Amino acid sequence: MLMEELLSVKYDVISGDFIRGGEASSNLKKLLNQLGIRSDVVKRICVACYEAEMNIVIHSVGGYIQAKIYNDRIEIIAYDNGPGIPDIELAMQEGYSTASEIAREMGFGGGMGLPNIKRSSDEFYITSEVGKYTKLKIIIYFD
Amino acid sequence: MKQLFHSVSLISEKCIGCTKCLMNCPVEAIRVKNGKAVIYNEKCIDCGECIKICPYGAHVAVKDSLDDLSKYKKKVVIPSVTLYSQFGSKVLPCDVNEALLKLGFDEVFDITFACDIAAEILKKDIENVVKPAISTLCPTVIRLIETAYPSLISHLVKILTPIEISAFLIREKYQKQGLKNEDIGVFFLTPCPSWVTKIKELSNNENIKINGAIPISDIYSKMLKYIKHRDTNVNYYISKTGLLWSYSGGQCKAIDVENSISVDGIKNVIKVLNDVETGRLDDIDYIEVLACSNGCVGGLLLVENPYNAERITKMIINKIDFTYKVFDFNNIKNKLINNKDREDKTLKLSSDFKSAVEMIKNMNNIINMLPGTDCGLCGSPSCKAFAEDVAKGLACIEDCKFISNGGKKDES
Repeated sequence: MLMEELLSVKYDVISGDFIRGGEASSNLKKLLNQLGIRSDVVKRICVACYEAEMNIVIHSVGGYIQAKIYNDRIEIIAYDNGPGIPDIELAMQEGYSTASEIAREMGFGGGMGLPNIKRSSDEFYITSEVGKYTKLKIIIYFD
Repeated sequence: MKQLFHSVSLISEKCIGCTKCLMNCPVEAIRVKNGKAVIYNEKCIDCGECIKICPYGAHVAVKDSLDDLSKYKKKVVIPSVTLYSQFGSKVLPCDVNEALLKLGFDEVFDITFACDIAAEILKKDIENVVKPAISTLCPTVIRLIETAYPSLISHLVKILTPIEISAFLIREKYQKQGLKNEDIGVFFLTPCPSWVTKIKELSNNENIKINGAIPISDIYSKMLKYIKHRDTNVNYYISKTGLLWSYSGGQCKAIDVENSISVDGIKNVIKVLNDVETGRLDDIDYIEVLACSNGCVGGLLLVENPYNAERITKMIINKIDFTYKVFDFNNIKNKLINNKDREDKTLKLSSDFKSAVEMIKNMNNIINMLPGTDCGLCGSPSCKAFAEDVAKGLACIEDCKFISNGGKKDES
């Protein structure tokens, strides 16, 4: 896939900020509607982006969401600066969660985040290094 | 492009070009051009917030009147359920209906019957759409979803609203009696401008056609003359579950779905729809969404304040011990379901993907030049909206006072 990147937008995501958490996915959704992306595809992107964004808010020290738009697809990079995931396989299991009590009570961190992102995306890659970073790459095709 | 009808409109002579409506429109549908407000019809959702906020009376609701009532052989009125909350708790629905007959109608259709039918079908209908099912009672909410949340169209329930069901039943009844459809005049007494717009959209469907939407506030003083304060328990069939549909939360109560939420007020509605779109509310069965504060009793074209209207409704409900037992409607059920696919009405920047992308890039460049203060002096509601207007060729960059005064953003 050598097709050139047409557009890239980046949103900073702040750790623990539940009030503004969700803004990145909300802004991205508006952009995709303006571009005329099919609404069912927008919904999947929105769900994946929101879960990724809230993962950064809840679990990390902060990071960013970057959306790269190509002719046929969107690539979302969700990057945070730690603490990283020691056992990715475990984290990918439905119901597994390390979220705090408060976050869980608010309906976050039910352990559905990562599996949900994977389900919503066409391609999903996760890399992480403890103490350093977690990086998700989500690809969703427009057609 | 087809000219869109909107009930919410502007009297240009009264507008002094202040920015109150501009800043308060929840969907950024207003601009100030050459010192006058302009409404972008493709964006307007008829919520009426601009009518409420305008201190000069420049924003108004276009409405129908009863002038051509005599045109019809049979004149039937469908009162909004909210009408019964407008005359205090001592005036019962039967007295209100009697006053309506004196205004020249042949029949007052009991909308609470249509509400009970709608509730019965709705209970099952919410299983047939994507969860959470979303209520379609409020035309403003539907327009908001069609123009800004197209991915939620699949969540909208398919059952017609009680108002449409009423029109259907009236037309069916009198046509069976031998009347021609065009001789049947059906009028809706509306609590809000969005229903004035909605009935225009319905007008090409002969089965549920409504000939006019009359604001309750327009007919109120005429009705007062005929209202009697009897406060006796007249045995009158009006359904207490039907009356529930007038205020926020009532619909959920009427259909008895516990795993539901009721949202009212346009800004709250927008917040909740955002949450639905992210999948956060997937566990909920039904969402009642109404654009006005406290639901339909908060309608702009009503007289009583929304909270007192709710109290009055509840007190009247306590005096009634009747609900329609709705069964055996299977023969008409299919006619009460909207099978037409709803249209995605989002405003795309361009029909061509690549040029839309170029416009976004252009917008982002413009945003970087703007001060970000959202002052509104350019006539757009925010710097972001202004950038979009410039990219679309609807505004020019010099309209920004910051830029035309030679302002440059700090590069620090």
